[in-house]
Amino acid sequence: MLHRGSIGAVALLAALCLSAAGAGAFEDSQYPDFNGKWNRAPTPGAPRTPQPVYDPTKGWGKAQGAPLTPEYTAIFEANEKDQAEGGPGTTRGFTCRTGGMPLIMTLFQPMEVIVLPDTTYMLINRGNIQRRIFTDGRDWPKEIEPSYVGYSIGKWIDEGGTGHYTVLEAETRGFRGPRTYDASGLPLHTDEQSIVKERMYLDKTDKNVMHNQITVIDHALTRPWTVTKDYRRDPSPRPVFVEEICAEGNPWVQIGKEAYMLGAAGELMPSKKDQPPPDLKYFNQTKK
Amino acid sequence: MTCRSPIGAIALLAALLLPPLVLPDAGALAFDQSKYPDLKGQWLRVGPPRWDDQHAPLTSEYQAIYQANLKDMATGGQGIDPTYTCLSPGMPRIMNVYDPMEVVVTPGATHILIQHIHDVRRIFTDGRDWPKNEDPTFAGYSIGKWIDSKGTGRYDLLEVETRNLKGPRVYDSTGLPFHEDNATVINERIYLDKADPNLLHDDITVTDHALTRPFSANKKYSRNPDPQPVWLEAQCADGNHHVQIGKENYYVSEDGYLMPVKKDQAAPDLKYFKKK
Repeated sequence: MLHRGSIGAVALLAALCLSAAGAGAFEDSQYPDFNGKWNRAPTPGAPRTPQPVYDPTKGWGKAQGAPLTPEYTAIFEANEKDQAEGGPGTTRGFTCRTGGMPLIMTLFQPMEVIVLPDTTYMLINRGNIQRRIFTDGRDWPKEIEPSYVGYSIGKWIDEGGTGHYTVLEAETRGFRGPRTYDASGLPLHTDEQSIVKERMYLDKTDKNVMHNQITVIDHALTRPWTVTKDYRRDPSPRPVFVEEICAEGNPWVQIGKEAYMLGAAGELMPSKKDQPPPDLKYFNQTKK
Repeated sequence: MTCRSPIGAIALLAALLLPPLVLPDAGALAFDQSKYPDLKGQWLRVGPPRWDDQHAPLTSEYQAIYQANLKDMATGGQGIDPTYTCLSPGMPRIMNVYDPMEVVVTPGATHILIQHIHDVRRIFTDGRDWPKNEDPTFAGYSIGKWIDSKGTGRYDLLEVETRNLKGPRVYDSTGLPFHEDNATVINERIYLDKADPNLLHDDITVTDHALTRPFSANKKYSRNPDPQPVWLEAQCADGNHHVQIGKENYYVSEDGYLMPVKKDQAAPDLKYFKKK
């Protein structure tokens, strides 16, 4: 049985602990310093590609070595043919839709990371991407409104047992599509049942390098596909975040299922050889 | 004097009460969220996303531009409202809060996150001065200052000034215009309602060369009581039937055909296509 005075002390201590928790003081040092502006890091020795690719260590398209099922290999090859003729293939970026997960983590534009106890925010200007990784211990909602970015739940891990979190593990579900891994048109399955798992951590020797090991489980794959992406922190303490509005100067226009191009003066043009013009049946042609 | 066993019990209890997680460094940087007003959660617009166009102190030149815009809208056009092409509404129209808003407060910046089109803002509160060579943006460059207006030791007001804007921008879907010089200056006072902490105010004052005097509005937002609110993803391109070809706005029907938006509107020139 506790001494009466000690009971009071215990009560006081408990009250102090509770009030400290309720005060909302957020100890940044518990978390790895993810804050700031992150750019896609170059991969030494990587093949040159027309655009950033999903696996940064490998080449364009087939050279990625994506473990696609035969059905999705055929879809990818048809996409390659369409792109060779000038079309967009399976990609939809030309319509200014976001590429969604996991493409967005290639960082076509810089990313800002904000770590708060309940949520880690990832903001990427391109496509107005606002990714929330909930770290408040929530479970998966019963119904997820599908989105290109998906619904992400994360957990901070103190991997080294040092008393500090070192790794953010995130799982993302609840997708909509169409989505591709990169601009070569490597497709994800149209059932949108992908599960994307990530492990994000700072490099042990260079705290301005972040690694993101991404594993995709998807019905268009014969096995999970894992790649690691590297990001480098902008050294400026006040980095510039450029506003990119996809619609500004976008030379593509979609009419029905066809993608056309706009000329410098806005004239409608074919994007492929011998592409038929749009059907103008709703216009009063006799007025011309 | 305290007996020994209760000290052990206290120590044990203290150890149990401390979270079994990670402890901060002695010299840790602590972001004391309690110094700031509680702006967490999801904020929803109160009232229509409009400005009072009937009392906007437009110059006669811009009143004429506004009237011409209304006339174009009446015949099926979009007037001078550029957002149908998925351009950002820009400031201060962003604060009409077309989609729910999250306010993320950190010591160096307050982030305004709104899905809609491109309605993300950073309000820098790190004491910086105006940058000298930054490209203008639709959202503008915002510098804020937290104010403890009552001397209680807690901030209760965020004062913000926004400059360095680009256009075209309008106040709302009526096409109420800003001056094309984009020299707009926007001042805001953002604070929680004194009687209702789930009501957020944004007193906005616009200074612009299309106005004869500053133009003010009070925008209100109510907090969604759901502790885990749903954040819907808005993709402007999804379901947007408007397409711009040259200077003309057309409509794409559900079945994928290009359509005029105005009576007797000319079809786009197809000279670059092979004739059958």
